[in-house]
Amino acid sequence: MIKIERVSVTYPGGVEALKNVDIEIEDGEFVVIVGLSGAGKSTLLRVLNGLVPATSGSIIVDGTEVVKANSQTLRQVRSKTGMIFQTFNLVNRTTVLNNVLMGRLANVPSWRSTLGLWPAEDREAAMLALERVGIVDKTYVRASNLSGGQQQRVGIARALAQEPSLMLADEPVAALDPVTSRQVMGDLQKINRELGITTLVNLHFLDLAKEYGKRLIGLRDGVLVYDGDINKVTDETFREIYGRAITSEDLHAMNEEQQQSVGNGK
Amino acid sequence: METLSDTPIPSQRPPTPKTFHRWFIALPFLVAIIWSVAGLDITLSRLLDAPGDAWLIIKQMIPPAFGEVYERGAVGKIFESVYIAWIGTIIGAFASLPLAFLAAHNVAPLWIRSPIRQLFNAIRAVPELILAVILIPVTGLGAWAGTLAIGIHSIGTLGKWACESIEDIDEGPIEATEACGGKWVSGMRWGVLPQVMPVISSYWLFRFEINVRASAVLGMIGAGGVGSELVSQLSFRNFPAASAVLIMTMAVVLTIDTISAAVRRRIIKGAETTDEESRTLQAITDLTGIRS
Amino acid sequence: MNDSTKTSERPVKPKPRARSFLIALVLLVLTFWAAVKVSFDLSTFWEVWSNPIWSKFWPIPWDWVFTKENTFDPLIETLQIAVASTLLGCLVALPVSFAMSSLTTPNKVVYFISKTIMNLVRAVPDLFWAKLLVTAIGIGAFAGAWSLSIFSLAVMVKLFSETVDAADPRPLEAARSSGARHLPAVKTGVFPTVFPSYVAYSLYIFELNIRASVVLGLVGAGGVGRVIETQRQFFRFDRILGLLIIIFGIVWVIEQISVSLRKRLV
Repeated sequence: MIKIERVSVTYPGGVEALKNVDIEIEDGEFVVIVGLSGAGKSTLLRVLNGLVPATSGSIIVDGTEVVKANSQTLRQVRSKTGMIFQTFNLVNRTTVLNNVLMGRLANVPSWRSTLGLWPAEDREAAMLALERVGIVDKTYVRASNLSGGQQQRVGIARALAQEPSLMLADEPVAALDPVTSRQVMGDLQKINRELGITTLVNLHFLDLAKEYGKRLIGLRDGVLVYDGDINKVTDETFREIYGRAITSEDLHAMNEEQQQSVGNGK
Repeated sequence: METLSDTPIPSQRPPTPKTFHRWFIALPFLVAIIWSVAGLDITLSRLLDAPGDAWLIIKQMIPPAFGEVYERGAVGKIFESVYIAWIGTIIGAFASLPLAFLAAHNVAPLWIRSPIRQLFNAIRAVPELILAVILIPVTGLGAWAGTLAIGIHSIGTLGKWACESIEDIDEGPIEATEACGGKWVSGMRWGVLPQVMPVISSYWLFRFEINVRASAVLGMIGAGGVGSELVSQLSFRNFPAASAVLIMTMAVVLTIDTISAAVRRRIIKGAETTDEESRTLQAITDLTGIRS
Repeated sequence: MNDSTKTSERPVKPKPRARSFLIALVLLVLTFWAAVKVSFDLSTFWEVWSNPIWSKFWPIPWDWVFTKENTFDPLIETLQIAVASTLLGCLVALPVSFAMSSLTTPNKVVYFISKTIMNLVRAVPDLFWAKLLVTAIGIGAFAGAWSLSIFSLAVMVKLFSETVDAADPRPLEAARSSGARHLPAVKTGVFPTVFPSYVAYSLYIFELNIRASVVLGLVGAGGVGRVIETQRQFFRFDRILGLLIIIFGIVWVIEQISVSLRKRLV
């Protein structure tokens, strides 16, 4: 269970990425987070495993306080939190297996992993993860020789190898074509259903979100503007989340009215 | 012409920009030339005699006495220079690699990287020959002094180049190792090292090419290798033997350059898709910091 | 586990090729052989501080170092060698580079001959040139300046002709199409675009020459190295250390100025 209370993030440059956000997520949920670029989606995922430190507030992930935690506690939380990236963040020059084994780093003493002497059980965990995403035949291929969709599956396998209880996916399909996007989203959905891993996915567009998500969180300029059932999303919520995309002057006034009404409604 | 002058823009021709500043640039140059040449005790007779003197020696250098220097063991001396360069490069490579990680601004904190960068700069400032001058009294004459001098000097350049290639990496994989709960060491080993190793190992080879020349020179002050052979032949004014040593050295240097350049191309190939020409320019940029 | 994901068998780990093993083995044996040949001796590193010779480096006799005839006159001679050889080498390199670039020299024979000569010149280490010239035209700064000029010429031609090769050919084409002869066409079409690089390379070569001119004296070619060589024969390492501190202080300052000039040019 994840409990985010009054969390704000201000970057060193002075940009406020999150403003006083409150969210509660139950175990096993599949949550889709939408919003424009710069709305704070990436920041929201990264405060959960401490890659971005929260400026204020409290975040409890499976009973552990993440905000202002020491590095050892953070590593503990991260080892149980898988993360998938928009740009895959694979090491292109090494094999798929080595990439997936990175997911086992927290379980293996540093000297062993540094020398590449991975224990048999960790190799087995990596192989199982590769089997689950269906690319075990690519185990010994260099990551750079895979297609974009395959690379993202390696990214998912790396996260699965951690045997996580929480999965964070930061725009996992933004760099993929529509067909591959559906496959990757399907993989994530299956992992959520079969393994019961709580899954948070950032998406740019609502159409994919509606297809795969149950619960929707909408962010705009670091403010939580929607949190609820994805099937109850109306045209109104659409505009609340994406209003700024239309930059003509007349819409600005309307947006502000809506923002106020959302504030009152909460 | 009529139509052109009819255009409705009544603009005036701008005055020719004043170019007197050119003289401000040229003047220091002139002063520098006069000052530097004045210090080189050049007399007209010396200037006129120099080409003749040089020609006289070139004439005596032909034909080169390969047989004589071979019997004196010059081939072994040349190989000793190569060994010195090889071991020196390995010392430099092993010592500089961990230091480079501690000097790169994207992976190391300021308090550790600034002293290490200063160390690289300080080492680079001192030529191998000067290092050898200091080391010879400590280790005694011979190849080990030259090896150490080359090894130490290589730490400076190799460290700087490695550090710069670490700063150029894609930082995504580091974020991924952090997100997996890995420590700093794991981030370096699995996030950074695979990315930079091809570039860094080609730098090692490039440094080896430079070090072969440097170790040949080191022999001139007694730090092992072929340099001592050249010096003694020239002091005996045995010019046929000197030219044989010179030609053999050139042959070895050019052979090593060619092989090493081919290996470097293979290492880098696949990593960059740039064509040959721009890669050469890239190498120049890397070496000199000059972008053309 | 979903059976649809199990699309393929686990692959067998590929064995490293025999050739790679062989290369590694040969390199290893060569390295050991070379290490024996250079009498590799790690104990130098831990015995280095207990070596009694260090006491010969200390204390530094500053009143000997800070004198005109011991330090400053030879140092000025060093600078003069560096300045003169940079000017001469770089000036001669200008026409030679244009003659050696495939862009500006359509003549294949000239191109080939000049390239070969320059490669041969660069294959001889700089101090070999110095020693040769000392033997040919006598001990002193005159020989040193000549040898560095030759070396500057070779390095400059290498750097600059490649820049000319890569220059934009269109202005040259434009100049030719207006009926210009070869030389004026090169002057107006190519020269302005490559001139900043030329100046920057000259400064770089000046830095190389400063360092080289410090050591020229060790083979009798003038400058401050002559003093080092003399004191070395008297085992006065304390004086040498003092000299080196002064020399590298000054060399460092000059280099910093040159580097900052270069950065401003580009």
